[in-house]
Amino acid sequence: MNLPENKLRTLQKSLEKDPALFTPAAFSLAESEKTGASNYSYWKSTLRTFFRSKSVVVLCAVVAAILVMSFLYPLFSSVDPTKVSINPLDWNHRPSLEHPFGTDGLGRDIFARAWYGCRNSFILAFCIALSDVGIGMIMGALWGYNKKLDPIMIEIYNIMTNVPSTVYLVLLAYIMNTSYLTLFISMASRGWIVEARFFRNRILSIRDAEYNIASQCLGTPMRRIATRNIIPHIISLIIMEAALCIPYSIGSEVFLGFVGVGMPVDAITLGNMVNHGRASFTLHPYQMLLPAAVLCIITIAFYFLGNKFADASDPRNHV
Amino acid sequence: MKKKLKSMEPADNSAVLSDDPAAQEEADLLRAYEQEIFARSEKHHNGPLLLSARDVVVRFNLRGQELTAIRSTSLDVYEGETLAIVGESGSGKSVFTKTFIGMLDKNGRIDGGELFFHGEDMAKYTTEEQWLKVRGKKIAMVFQDPMTSLNPVRTIGEQIAEVIMWHFGKSHEEAKAETIELLKKVGIHDPEKRYKQYPGEFSGGMRQRVVIATAIACRPEILICDEPTTALDVTVQAQVLDLIKSLQKELKMSVVFITHDLGVVANIADWVAVMYAGKIVEYGTANEIFKSPEHPYTKALLRSLPQLGTKGHDLYSIQGTPPSLFKQITGDAFAPRNTDAMKIDFEEEPPVFPVTDTHWARTWLLSPQAESYRASLLARDAEQQKNAVPETPFDYTNAEKLITVRDLTVRFKMGGSTFKAVNGVSFDIFKGETLSLVGESGSGKTTIGRAIMRIYTGNVGGEVTFKGSKITGKLSRQDKKKLHMEMQMIFQDPMASLNERAKVDYIISEGLYNYHLYESEEDRVAKVENILTEVGLTSEFISRFPHEFSGGQRQRIGIARSLVMNPDFLVADEPISALDVSIRAQVINLLNKMKKERSLTYLFIAHDLSAVRFISDRIAVIHKGHLVELAPCEELFAHPLHPYTKALLSAVPYPDPDSERNKVLIPYDPAMHDYSSDKPVWTEITPGHFIYGNTKELEGYRREAEA
Repeated sequence: MNLPENKLRTLQKSLEKDPALFTPAAFSLAESEKTGASNYSYWKSTLRTFFRSKSVVVLCAVVAAILVMSFLYPLFSSVDPTKVSINPLDWNHRPSLEHPFGTDGLGRDIFARAWYGCRNSFILAFCIALSDVGIGMIMGALWGYNKKLDPIMIEIYNIMTNVPSTVYLVLLAYIMNTSYLTLFISMASRGWIVEARFFRNRILSIRDAEYNIASQCLGTPMRRIATRNIIPHIISLIIMEAALCIPYSIGSEVFLGFVGVGMPVDAITLGNMVNHGRASFTLHPYQMLLPAAVLCIITIAFYFLGNKFADASDPRNHV
Repeated sequence: MKKKLKSMEPADNSAVLSDDPAAQEEADLLRAYEQEIFARSEKHHNGPLLLSARDVVVRFNLRGQELTAIRSTSLDVYEGETLAIVGESGSGKSVFTKTFIGMLDKNGRIDGGELFFHGEDMAKYTTEEQWLKVRGKKIAMVFQDPMTSLNPVRTIGEQIAEVIMWHFGKSHEEAKAETIELLKKVGIHDPEKRYKQYPGEFSGGMRQRVVIATAIACRPEILICDEPTTALDVTVQAQVLDLIKSLQKELKMSVVFITHDLGVVANIADWVAVMYAGKIVEYGTANEIFKSPEHPYTKALLRSLPQLGTKGHDLYSIQGTPPSLFKQITGDAFAPRNTDAMKIDFEEEPPVFPVTDTHWARTWLLSPQAESYRASLLARDAEQQKNAVPETPFDYTNAEKLITVRDLTVRFKMGGSTFKAVNGVSFDIFKGETLSLVGESGSGKTTIGRAIMRIYTGNVGGEVTFKGSKITGKLSRQDKKKLHMEMQMIFQDPMASLNERAKVDYIISEGLYNYHLYESEEDRVAKVENILTEVGLTSEFISRFPHEFSGGQRQRIGIARSLVMNPDFLVADEPISALDVSIRAQVINLLNKMKKERSLTYLFIAHDLSAVRFISDRIAVIHKGHLVELAPCEELFAHPLHPYTKALLSAVPYPDPDSERNKVLIPYDPAMHDYSSDKPVWTEITPGHFIYGNTKELEGYRREAEA
C-alpha cells in the first residue's frame, strides 16, 4: 500500500462502521420483487409525444376552429348562402368587412358559402372515412386470418388499384346522376381495398404473436380475440388512417367538382365553389383563391396531423 | 497511473454535493484507495494497460426522468487479454462498453468520469470526428444480431472491402485481395465465391463470422463482442468462440466479451468482471471468480446454475427480480435479493475490498468486521451441499402412456414448394414424466409442440392420441373444450406472450372466461389471486399491465395463465431461454414444484442441455425434423450413440474454466450418413433407448451400446 501511514489510518477509520450493522438483516420477498417500474402508459405517452410539437398544437386548434365554424356557422350568422341578388351592384364584391371573402357573380356571400361548403365536404369525407376504414378493417381482418382468401383478394386489389382513380371516379360519376350518394358510392367502392390491404399486413404481423397463440391454446373465441387482442393493438392505426382519409376524400370531391362531374351546380361544396371561381379567375381571382385556401388549410392540416399521430403512436418514439 | 490519480475529479455526486471538508477528504481518500487496489493487478497482466475507465457515470433521459445506467464504474483493459463482463439484462454491461466507442443512444450521455485511451480522455470527446478516429479503427465492436451490422442488399465482400478502402485508402483490387484473406481467416470456405454473395445466403453462424471479419479488418487493438453467440446454436456457438480465441492470439488483440452465460465466460475469459445494477461488483481472473467468488451475487449466480443442482431437489435460486433503471438504489444494490444480507448492506454502498492482488469485490462481507458472520455463512453452505442426495430416476415399469405420437409430419408451404418441418416422428409421453425435446433452431422442436397443441391442424400428418383418443384431425366442439382444459402451453418469450393492452387480471382469467370455469365474480378473482400467490407474485399485481413487470415475473404470469385451467399436460416451449440467469433457477423450481403438487406431465422443449439434464426424465434429440435419439436422461449423457448427440453434448458450455479450456469439440457432418439405398428407421436399440439409423449404423450403435 503506497498511501502514507496517517492517511491509511484515517481510511481504515472511515471504513469502520457500527458493529451492530454487521448482523443479518430481515429478508423481505416483496422488497426483492420490486424492480422499479416506470409509470409508462401507452396512450399517455402517445398523446404527450403527439402534443409535444408546437405545430401539432397550432394545427389542432386550426382544425377545431374550422370544424366549429363549419358546423355552427348557421347559428352565428343569418347570411343565406344561396341568396341571389338581382342588383348588379351586389355582384363580384371584393372582400370587405360585410363580405369577408367577397361575393360571387350572382351576389352570393362567398364567406358563408365557404362554411356551408366545408360542412358538406366534411360530412361527405367523414362518411367516406368511416366506410373505407370500417370496411377495410373488417375485410383486412378476414383477409389476414384466412389464407384461402389471399389469391382472390390480391387479384381484386391489383385490378382496383391498377385502374387510374381519376378515370374510375369520372366514369362512375358520369354514369350515375350527380348526387351526394353517387359521390359517396364512387369513392367508397374503391377506397376500402387499399385500407384492407394495409390492415391485412398489420394483422398478419400480430396474428402469429405468441400472445395470440396463447389465446388459441386457451380456446378463446374469435370474437374476443378480435376485441381484446387485435383491435387494441391497431386502434392508433385506425385513427391515423381515418385522419388521412379525410383530406383525400375532400380532395377527390373537389377534383370531381372541378372537372364538372361532381355535385349538381346548385349544391354548395368546396369543389363547386372552386369550379365557379375558375370561370371568373382572371377578373376576380379571390373568388377561387379564397375557397381554395380554406381547402388547402384543411387538407394540409389533416395530412400533417395524421402523419404526426402515426409517429407518436409508435412506441419507439416514446422517449 | 499515479499521475492520473491527481487529476481525477470526483464523479460521484454525493461527494460533490457534500459541503463538509472532512467528508470530502474521506471520499477522496477512498477513491485513491480504490485506484490503488485496481492498479495492484497490473503486474499480473500479460501486456501494458490499454484502456482505463475511471468512475464512469452514464445517465439517460427517458420521458422526463433522469436514470442512472452506470453508477460510477471503473475498469481496465490490458493488451492481449480477454476480459469478460458478465451481467444480466439491464445491468448496464452493453451501455458501459458502448461508451468506449461513443455509441450511446441519443438520450444517453457520459455524466462523469474518465476514459483514458492512448493518453486521451475519450469522455471529453464532443464531436463525431474525434470518435471516428477510434471507433472501428482502434476499438471495434461485434453485436449480438449479425443482421444489424450487415447491409442485406450488398455483397459481403463489398462491405468488408469498403471498410478497408475507407480506413487504409487502398485500391479496390488490394482491398478485395485482403478481404478474401480475411474471410479465409475467419473460417469461411471458398472465400472467392462467398465474396460475391449477399448476407441472406449465409447462415447465422457464418454471418457472425463475416461481422467478425469486418470488425478485425482494421486490426483494432480492442475488439468488443456484445453477446456475439447468444443468438446461435450451441454447436455453432462453440465454433465461433474458438474462432474469437484463435484470432485474439493471432492478432494480439484485447477482447472485451460481454455475456450473461457463465459457461461461455469459463470458455473464453482470462479475466472476469461481474456487473450488477450498473456497477462492477467483482473482478478477478477466471479461476478466482469461478472457484472462490466473494460477492454474494456472484456466489448466488454460480450456485444457481442447473449443472450444479441435485436432481429432485430445489435448485438454489436467487430471490426476487433484478432492478431496472427506475429503481432507487441505496447501499448494496443486491441486498434486497440477498437472503443473507447484513443491515449495513441496506445503509451504505460497499467500497472495494481486495481479496488477492488480482481479485477484488464490492461487498461488506469482506470487511474485517464481518469476518465471523462470513465464516458462519461459508460453514452453512458447505453443510448444505453435502446433504443433497439425488432422487431415484423415474420408474417406467408401470408407467401409463398419456400421449402417443405416431409418424407425425408437419408440412409448411415455402414459396411454391412444401417443406417438412417435422418428418415422421414417433414417441410416447408417460404420465408424470418430463420428456425433453432438444435441438437447434429450425430443427422442428417447437413445431412438434404446437402440432400436439393443435395450433397447426391442416398441415399435420400422422396421429397423436391423448389418453387413448385421437386428437389430430377434426374434433367436435366438446372434445376441443376438453382438450383446452387438459393441455396447456408455456411460451418462450415472456415479452411477446402476454397481451400488452390487457391487465394481469384478464390475462390470467382468459381461459376461465372462455369456459366459464367460475361460479361468481368473487370466485374468479379468488382463483386468480390464488394462482398468483402460487407462482410467487403478490395479489396486488392483479390490476397492473404487463409492461410493469420484468421478464421473469412475466414468465410466471404466463405459467399462472396456463395453470389456472388445471391441466394434466403442459408443453413448455423454451420457458427459460429468454430469462435472466438469476431467475432461470426460480422458474425451473416453480415448474418442478407445480409438477409435484399437481402431478403434471411436461413436454419440455429446449436447446440448453444443462437445464434439460436437471429437469427431465427422458431426453429426445431432434435434428432437421427427425428424432435421432431418445433415451433416459442420465443414459443419454453417459452413453450417447448418435454422432449428432455426441456433437451436441461436446459443445455444451460448462461453468468451469479448467474443463472448458481442455474441451474437444466433436464435429457433426450430416453427409456421413449414406441413406441412398439403406433407408434409416427409428429403432429401440436397448430397452428405452431409441435411435435413428439404417441397418449398418444400427449394428455399429448396438456394438457400441454393449461395449
